[in-house]
Amino acid sequence: MEQIIDYIQFVLASQMLNGLAIGAAVIMMALGLTIIFGLLDVINMAHGEFYAIGGFVLMALLGLGVNFWVCIALVPALLLPFGYAIERTLIQPIFHKGDRHILTLLLTFGLSIIFQDLLKIIFGPNPLRPENLLPGGSEIFGIFMPNYRLFLIVAGGAIVAAVWALIYKTNFGAMVRSAAFDKNMAGSLGVPVRLIYAGTFALGISLAGLSGVLLAPIYTVFPTMGHDFILMAFTVVIVGGLGSITGAVLAGILLTQIQAIASLYISPVWTEPLIFGIMVMVLVVKPQGLFGKFGHG
Amino acid sequence: MKPNLKTMALASGIILASAGTVDAADPIKIGVLTPLSGTYTVIGQQVKWGLELAAREINASGGVLGRQLVLTYEDSEANPAVATQKAEKLFQVEKVDFLTGTVSSGATLAVGQVAERNDTLMATTVSFSSAITGSKCSPNVFRVNAHAGMQAAALAAWLKQDRASAKVYFMGPDYEMGRNTVAVFKTAATSSGFDEAGEVYAPLGNKDYSNFFGQVRAARPDVIYTSMAGNDAVRLFTQMQEYGVSKGVQVVGSAGTVTPANIEAMGESAEGFVTGVGYSPLIDSAENKAFVEAFRKASEGTDPDLYGADSYGLLFLYKAAAEKAGSIETDKLRKSLEGTEWQTPQGTKKMRAGDHQAEMPMYAVRVENGSFTIASKVPGGDAIGKDDCERF
Repeated sequence: MEQIIDYIQFVLASQMLNGLAIGAAVIMMALGLTIIFGLLDVINMAHGEFYAIGGFVLMALLGLGVNFWVCIALVPALLLPFGYAIERTLIQPIFHKGDRHILTLLLTFGLSIIFQDLLKIIFGPNPLRPENLLPGGSEIFGIFMPNYRLFLIVAGGAIVAAVWALIYKTNFGAMVRSAAFDKNMAGSLGVPVRLIYAGTFALGISLAGLSGVLLAPIYTVFPTMGHDFILMAFTVVIVGGLGSITGAVLAGILLTQIQAIASLYISPVWTEPLIFGIMVMVLVVKPQGLFGKFGHG
Repeated sequence: MKPNLKTMALASGIILASAGTVDAADPIKIGVLTPLSGTYTVIGQQVKWGLELAAREINASGGVLGRQLVLTYEDSEANPAVATQKAEKLFQVEKVDFLTGTVSSGATLAVGQVAERNDTLMATTVSFSSAITGSKCSPNVFRVNAHAGMQAAALAAWLKQDRASAKVYFMGPDYEMGRNTVAVFKTAATSSGFDEAGEVYAPLGNKDYSNFFGQVRAARPDVIYTSMAGNDAVRLFTQMQEYGVSKGVQVVGSAGTVTPANIEAMGESAEGFVTGVGYSPLIDSAENKAFVEAFRKASEGTDPDLYGADSYGLLFLYKAAAEKAGSIETDKLRKSLEGTEWQTPQGTKKMRAGDHQAEMPMYAVRVENGSFTIASKVPGGDAIGKDDCERF
């Protein structure tokens, strides 16, 4: 019995706590993606690049002497008008054609390639890393955990709560949900649908930018960093249900915990095919994901 | 090697005058197939700077056999499949006379086969895998940089001098270079009397190593050896520091793990790291000092690392061999390259005929206060190792 408790405390729990920190990172990426797909019905292949842009804007601001903690609020704020502009000028014109999914997929895919190269040209290919302002680690119930990862778990939780409150407890959120449910009806009731669309896209990508800021001290900033999380984010969104915030959070936690615990028994490399295998099974058995559609979740 | 005004004026005069003619002014096309995107972009950038600096200097002093060198770039993305396609394009469409720039050992081996099919020569200035001039050697492939075995020999010699025995844990990226580099150092280490504590491999481009640290901690090593490179190494080191895995442990690794391209991003987490290399910007020779200065100017402030220096040296080997043979035709050039000695910022290198591997003096270097200092030196003959190539 003692051996089992010992195992749970020193090996399993520490692995699970670490999985939670990674989960916080993945959920932040997946949130923006699920909001954009849930409402706008746009598959944003450039989501990873907005994550990268967030990281690079952070480095630029740090270079100008702005404090890291201020940047956490400043970078998403700077990305909002950027996302708004992209939605109004690039996505809306092609939105009303019949094959919207393919067109927006191609458009955002093209954007991702352009952004990657722009970042490489402007900032160079070398990796950059902001200073970790919470170095060292602490012992929680006998588990050693780096302080910054603990901060990530807390920040992730706060962000999820804030986004949930925004979507479900504010006027703006109500307008967003109504436009997702029935665009024409909402429009005829006075909801400025085009504005809402652009605003939601802006919200989604600024969440991605925020993840870029928060994760930069541990994952570094470099032009192709968008690829790091995009596959995992899409998997979480698909398993959780396109458009469902609860789904994204729960699927995010579930999948990263599976990855963390499985890493104890099989080589960590094999945990990725395992996760994608789960995604495939979910697509076969319940294609709308665990929690269904936006406006309902 | 340094251009002077008279030679430049004369060369430009000749070029302008012969602009209308065909033969002598025909440039020699050097294909450069190197990662311009992806996780090894930083290495491709050093290769590019080194080659461009050498081409500029050689062209300014008259070119090779009176012909100017022209570099044609393609992005290999450090992916052997992509590299073979782009190599075919360089050989058959661009009709390059020589190919270089491959970084990933997998890419070098694959492109070597393409070079054989196209009866053209190629050289790598970066790839570490011993197989390239060993079990998988090719008559059309040359290597001017130190391979994993040579670096391992230098590092093992330093480690033996530092401590009599230790448990060594091995970590590497999961592909040809990563696995081969670890295997080679393991041989050097175990034959020097060190114990193996375990090994683990992560996919190329892996972002979070915390899942691997459980195994590492359980093994309680005294020394951690890693063959990670580029951005993967930055993440590994900073995360090892974050989790306290590297505390009290001597971290050593391959020559490509910590370079001027990623040392700044690593910051404090790279302190105390030791590796065996064929080049250091600190080598105390007039030639190296001149090279470092010219490189800094061309790269707008970045120091050359082993990739930049070896790439720079390659074009001078090409020039020396071509002028010795009087031609760049494949068979003649191959014979001429074998056995050639030439001057590089690292000193004199010699191209061993038996396996097309360059012999050179090796160094053990340590990171102190954010930059490398030279810890010890091993002569070329001791470090180069056996000729394992049986094909020619």
